[in-house]
Amino acid sequence: MRNKIKVYRAMHDLTQEDLAKAIGVTRQTILAIEKGKYIPSLDLAFRIARYFRVNVEEIFLYDEEPRPPLAG
Amino acid sequence: MKKNGFYLLTGCTALVLLGILWYSVEVHRPLYIEIAFIIAIAVIYLLRRMVEDLIEDERSIKITEQAAVRTFQVFWVVFAAFSIGAVMELFYVPQVFIARIPPTPPPESTMLVILPPRLMGYIQLALLCLMIFLYVGFRIYYARKYGEWETDEE
Repeated sequence: MRNKIKVYRAMHDLTQEDLAKAIGVTRQTILAIEKGKYIPSLDLAFRIARYFRVNVEEIFLYDEEPRPPLAG
Repeated sequence: MKKNGFYLLTGCTALVLLGILWYSVEVHRPLYIEIAFIIAIAVIYLLRRMVEDLIEDERSIKITEQAAVRTFQVFWVVFAAFSIGAVMELFYVPQVFIARIPPTPPPESTMLVILPPRLMGYIQLALLCLMIFLYVGFRIYYARKYGEWETDEE
């Protein structure tokens, strides 16, 4: 899972602390999400997306892993 | 209440508990420390709910949950192993109870003292320490995994 939170923060001229306060989490959580160390819950993902007034898919990008072909 | 006030009160509670433990040992009444411990934990939980500047978000809750689950997964195996050993003693019939023909007094070596209270105390202490070390270890591991001490350019 990749995300563009850093890009959107830059676009809105926000620090991690500002964003964290706005959505009610710690700065470490925003940092961990940006660095891909923590995957947020659906609730938090939606809150972040709503804050930037975009759809979730525009901020969070799901990298689908190649699956083995079905047998038979 | 501020976070620092909570930590200060928690420290005071721990000191009071230590005093009660000492007294409990002096008068040899384990019930005092047992009741005091339950009350102290309840007080700490209540105080924690009164802290205003403690932000607990889903990531910190996840770290706590993961650490607790992993601690439980390891601890219950060790605890069960000790307990099975103790339960086994319930089923063990010492030689003194087996009928002897012709009747003879049992030798001294068969008069076993099975799991004396002091040994049980040491085992409980070891288990308690194990639980604390496991929890702290797992907490550090998951905090690192979920970026607790990550630094950024900001």
